[in-house]
Amino acid sequence: MEVLQYSLRRLVAGIPLLLGVTFISFLLMVYFGPDQTYQLLGKNPTAEQIAEIRAELGYDQPFLVRYADYLREVATLDFGNSNSTGELVTDLLARTIPVSLMLILPGFLLGNLLALLLALLAAHYRSRWPDKGIMAFSVVGMSISYLIVIIAFQVIFSSSSGLGWFPVRGWNVHSLAEYLEYVTVPTLATVFVALGYNTRFYRSVIVEELNRDHVRTARAFGVPPAKLLYRNVLKNCLIPIITRVVFTIPLIVISGALLVETYFGIPGVGKVTFDAITTGDQPVLKAVVGLTAVLFVLAQLVVDVLYRAVDPRVSLS
Amino acid sequence: MSAEPILSVRDLVVEFRTEHGVVRAVDRVSFDVFPNETVGLVGESGCGKTVTGLAILGLIPSPPGRIASGSIRLAGRELVGLPESELRQLRGRDMAMVFQEPMTALNPVFTVGNQMMDILRRYKGLSRSQARAAAIELLAKVGIPAPAQRIDEYPHQLSGGMRQRVVIAMALSCDPKLIVADEPTTALDVTTQAQVLEQIVRLQQEFRMAMVLVTHDLGVVAETCQRALVMYCGRVAEQADIGPLFAHPRHPYTAGLLRSLPRVGEAEKQDLAVIPGMVPDLLDLPAGCRFAERCPRRDARCDGELPDLDGDAASPARVACFHPL
Amino acid sequence: MSVAATRRQSLWSKAAWKLRRDRFGMLGLAVVLAHFVAAVGVWLGLWATGWGDVAGGKWDSVSSEHWFGTNLIGQDIFQRSIYSISTAFEIGLIVAVLSTLLGAVLGAMAGFFSGRATDEFVVWLMGVLDSIPFYLLVAAIAFALEGNPWSMHVAMISTFWITTARLVRGEVIKLKGLEFVEAAHAIGVPEYTIIFRHILPNTFHILLVQSTITFVAAIKSEVILSFLGLGVKDGMSWGLMISESTFEVLAGFFNNFLAASVLMFGLVMAFSIFSDALQDALDPRQVS
Repeated sequence: MEVLQYSLRRLVAGIPLLLGVTFISFLLMVYFGPDQTYQLLGKNPTAEQIAEIRAELGYDQPFLVRYADYLREVATLDFGNSNSTGELVTDLLARTIPVSLMLILPGFLLGNLLALLLALLAAHYRSRWPDKGIMAFSVVGMSISYLIVIIAFQVIFSSSSGLGWFPVRGWNVHSLAEYLEYVTVPTLATVFVALGYNTRFYRSVIVEELNRDHVRTARAFGVPPAKLLYRNVLKNCLIPIITRVVFTIPLIVISGALLVETYFGIPGVGKVTFDAITTGDQPVLKAVVGLTAVLFVLAQLVVDVLYRAVDPRVSLS
Repeated sequence: MSAEPILSVRDLVVEFRTEHGVVRAVDRVSFDVFPNETVGLVGESGCGKTVTGLAILGLIPSPPGRIASGSIRLAGRELVGLPESELRQLRGRDMAMVFQEPMTALNPVFTVGNQMMDILRRYKGLSRSQARAAAIELLAKVGIPAPAQRIDEYPHQLSGGMRQRVVIAMALSCDPKLIVADEPTTALDVTTQAQVLEQIVRLQQEFRMAMVLVTHDLGVVAETCQRALVMYCGRVAEQADIGPLFAHPRHPYTAGLLRSLPRVGEAEKQDLAVIPGMVPDLLDLPAGCRFAERCPRRDARCDGELPDLDGDAASPARVACFHPL
Repeated sequence: MSVAATRRQSLWSKAAWKLRRDRFGMLGLAVVLAHFVAAVGVWLGLWATGWGDVAGGKWDSVSSEHWFGTNLIGQDIFQRSIYSISTAFEIGLIVAVLSTLLGAVLGAMAGFFSGRATDEFVVWLMGVLDSIPFYLLVAAIAFALEGNPWSMHVAMISTFWITTARLVRGEVIKLKGLEFVEAAHAIGVPEYTIIFRHILPNTFHILLVQSTITFVAAIKSEVILSFLGLGVKDGMSWGLMISESTFEVLAGFFNNFLAASVLMFGLVMAFSIFSDALQDALDPRQVS
């Protein structure tokens, strides 16, 4: 009951964020975005045809009316059909979001778990050579551009001049084996890039916690170092870790896969959104932006509830 | 003093590597603690008293710190040079430490009971329910009301005094031979301070433990200790039983400290004395006596030569001064 | 103000001393400076002037004339990769300076007026911009500005200021409770003078470190944005070279890719190491 009440309050408190995200995106992507009028018309259109298509696209309405309409669409989840393909926007998202998730989730999970493991190792051997080695690796990983990693991994694992083990591009997935074939190289690239950033972040969180007094108390009572890390310290570190992980999720659902999708020609939601921006496909843009904002408000809620679960000092009121 | 000492520290030297050079935080400190005895380590902050306490438990953060030389024996067993894994087995079981900051000494995300039971199960091999019962009993013993409820609370739900009692209960849980208490009451407010101190004295007598009490407060020493070491700049200035120490301090520094202590009845008549000057920088120590610059009895010898403690380890009273009072 | 000023001075001299002793940090700085010299040479027209000329055949291999070979249409890859250093510095410097400035001003105002409307607005704006996926925002800005060559810079600045502003806001909230600020209040110094003359200079160590971090982030973002077609419009950059190379590498020609990648990796890594060293030196509380 307490949680439910809290959730409602939290959702209401999320309204300014929702309004902000939709407003700024609407302003940039829709109001100042590409004008589709002439793309949808035949050659030598008449003034009437132009006026008609503009009315259809809503271009003739004042800004606030268009924005209010948009909010209504978000509230009812009814965004109409894509301008470019004619497909129902909700169908389009239902088709592409799972592809993006399947593409990005393995890398996301592995990237975080491996990083946590490396960070624990580094923190355990703080200031000694395993720590220095791991942190040097992390700086190197952070210094290589994601794009360079993707290109290099594609050449190494997929191209004919490399190992040629995996398909070079595309997404032709009908079975687990095919899934593994297509997902492996993008996942390796994602993990490689994520490891650098994540390891560094997790290590700094863990080391900060290790410097606290309660850790010294635990040591003074003979808690073994490994147990100290996974039992005493890890739970204390969960708040920053949860924050980072949960707030990344809306971004990876929407755009985290954009680069990989573009490079490997995978029909995920990142690619669809990007194309929508470049062509000015308003219904799609509106849906994606609205969805992102809603996901962020939900993420905020999830984070707060999780805080409560891991830290007794946090109360929901 | 009866029989063998529980703790025997000889010529302990602890060094820290800093950006500006190596600092000797503890310099040739020696003392014994016998069963059922409380020994005070007194001095200003930075005098090495806390580092000495940490060194006994092998808790010097390393790097940058290390025990450079000397010996620490617990019930006859040499601790210096013992591998960390063996030292760890002793911590919490044979020797325990109570820290200065009760507000942060406990892990905020686990219940009090959880943290206490962890030690009891590890060292006493108790089952969950046995450990719980034992923890409740310990909480009652350190004077926590309604311990059966308190055991399931988190540290932030307890007051500072209560938290310190919990840490003391944890320290007592395996009947250690020795407890090192580092300013156990300093962070508490005055009334709580008195209660907790009284509890510590009572428990120390009940459990017949040896205790090292680290404090800057001579008042605390007078109430709890049988003997005390006055430390200055990493060295022992004077060591004596409490009675003689307070009645006839022999080191000018001890005398200065005592004069700066307010006494009931005299307080209004005279101003408290202040020791002039400042504690020297550990990186830039004088060649001679470290207290010389602030000492009323200083002469040329004090400037050129470092005084050692007189007598030997068995002497009841020792002082490191060329011109003791 | 002398207390705060002294505090600042001792912080800086200590930091300089610590930084000079950090061998990796100094090595990083040396590599960054070497890149910078290369960039200055390009700006002065001393070298890499022929980056756009067609001077050889398709995919010529490494030779004394073309140190890194030539690209698809016969342009010299060495000159192009060196010219790109200057592009990287232009982007990095512009974005780092402007987003740091913006972050400092908005962060300081939010922090000083914490709990009031100004603060609520800035915090709200940061939350909103953080919730819009970066590449979508850049794309949106690029199209809203209708292909303006600065749209990439604008997009980067409009997101990169946020981290700086958060840090400055936190620090200013801490600083404004200190005596020297209260004293300034008490003697009637105007609010904005307090913010910008008295408080903000005390956050300069944060700004310095943040601007190095932003510099690196800008260079890295350029590569991806140029690949997506949202980046550098006129001229040459590592991002454009790498984009060019994406089909070359499948054909087994790596010169373009390697030249841009290695130079960029060198600059980014050196700058990151220097940035870490700077942070170590300036922030004694930092654990690492």
